[in-house]
Amino acid sequence: MKAVRNTLLTLVVAVLLLPVYAMFAVSSASDATDLGGFGFDVSQLGAHVSQLFDQGGFPLYLRNSLILALGIGVLEVIFSSAAGYALAQLRFPGSRVLFAVIVGTLSLSPIVVLVPMYLIVKELGWINSYQGMIVPFMMSAFGVFLVRQFALALPHELLLSARVDGASELRIFVRIGVPLLRPALLTLFLLQFLAQWDNLLWPLIVANDPGLWPLPVGLSQLQTEYDFSIGLVSTAALITAVPPLVLMFLLQRYYVAGLTLGGVRK
Amino acid sequence: MSLRLVPPVAQVSGKGQRWAEARTGGLLALPAAVYFLVFWLVPFVAAVYLSFTSYDFAGTPEWTGLDNYRRMLGDPGFWNSARVTAAYTIGSVVPSIVLGLAIAVPLSKPGRYNAFLRGLVMIPAAMPLVATSMVWSVIFADKGLANALIGLVGVEPKPWLTDEGLALWALVIMTTWKHLGLFVIILTAGLQGLPLSVFEAAALDGAGPIRVFYRITLPLLRRTLLFVLVIAVVGAMQSFVPAFLLTKGGPAGATEVLPLYLWATGFGFERMGYASAIAMVLLVAMLALSLVQFRVLRGGEDG
Repeated sequence: MKAVRNTLLTLVVAVLLLPVYAMFAVSSASDATDLGGFGFDVSQLGAHVSQLFDQGGFPLYLRNSLILALGIGVLEVIFSSAAGYALAQLRFPGSRVLFAVIVGTLSLSPIVVLVPMYLIVKELGWINSYQGMIVPFMMSAFGVFLVRQFALALPHELLLSARVDGASELRIFVRIGVPLLRPALLTLFLLQFLAQWDNLLWPLIVANDPGLWPLPVGLSQLQTEYDFSIGLVSTAALITAVPPLVLMFLLQRYYVAGLTLGGVRK
Repeated sequence: MSLRLVPPVAQVSGKGQRWAEARTGGLLALPAAVYFLVFWLVPFVAAVYLSFTSYDFAGTPEWTGLDNYRRMLGDPGFWNSARVTAAYTIGSVVPSIVLGLAIAVPLSKPGRYNAFLRGLVMIPAAMPLVATSMVWSVIFADKGLANALIGLVGVEPKPWLTDEGLALWALVIMTTWKHLGLFVIILTAGLQGLPLSVFEAAALDGAGPIRVFYRITLPLLRRTLLFVLVIAVVGAMQSFVPAFLLTKGGPAGATEVLPLYLWATGFGFERMGYASAIAMVLLVAMLALSLVQFRVLRGGEDG
């Protein structure tokens, strides 16, 4: 019974991973004549990788993607933890209104506010700039909400005793709140990094300058460049998939925690 | 005057404490307040306003009342996109949840080998959508993997991405694959959180695995299923990347999902007012569907 189950599951997982293997196989294909083949040529793959890094915009796209994903990930952690902690632990004027706005924003998606968001960025003079790509996504309602939920569960006695000892509220946040919130912040960083690494729509709209393109925009353009073979494009996709996969395996626990938030009753 | 001991709690809940909290709380929340005002609240209000105007970047928006919404009713492009989005959503959500559940139930059982397989299942979920789309565009190419596979069972090669009847299903297959891993992870976590004692009791009563699944597992898993269903439906309805990268909405609009139509209307044809009206309809549809799912799946459950 167990052997049957394991065999079936192994088969299913193998089928699921077939497209991933296809990515490797096509990346090592020397020409576009036979893409259904299952041969895998490491030296050809290596040649494609070095070709990508030697010429064209690929290294630039990679750098821009790192700037965007790391920048937004870090900003999100800093500002969402500050706001989420304040909403959970501190009484301040306007907190109810802010929380209502954030909960309302949870149900909005970027596609809904795309047009006015673009107009605002244009008004700020941020078209074709890093800040134009970063600032509109530097925080998220989900992020603030997530940190708030975790911050509500911080041990009350600990915060209180720090207050009794005369620590300032800011110090309590930095010294006690942030370390205790670390799992939530790691989850948040990971989810934001993955989302921004994959953000195509917004950079496509605000960045016309190829020097600013991150990988998603760059890759979508590579497809149409005539001197790029399918093997080369596929190798570019393969390299793009590496950082998220590495991060996900290193932070697997936090990844699952982030995905299952709200779905599982604790 | 008698000596009174002041409890520490009273000390930290006085006026000074109030002021310290208000100051620090305000300071910590200020960036968020500015951010959500400028990049979400104002854009949302502006989107509602723009949806009642005609605006093409030049000059100022011109109030046209309900014209955009009236035009939408008679716009074949909009109705085509609405139909495509509905087919894409139903087509990708149903198989990814059913298959996801079928895989998650055996995969959630304890054991080292299952844990290993669960790690592998996460790979499609963590792949960037852009890279995924490029891989699948090669899989669906004339001499790609899809045709090689159907060739094994003697089916003629098909022009997956350029056939009006097939292109949307190619997108559906890719989306199902991408979501399957994600849903398996979420459902597995949900299944592992279920109380073991209920299953032990059912086993003692001699209930078979199929009966246990329908009578115990499914009802207990309702909350997780609801969560997966909502993110699946809302995710599919605002999906832009696969259609943009694989087919550009073609052939002949067969894969022109609403977000793609919205993007083309706003940024291709610079009809920002009309694009905003489409955005409003999309938002209302997403909210309404989420609400219906909540009502249906949470009905009868307390709290």
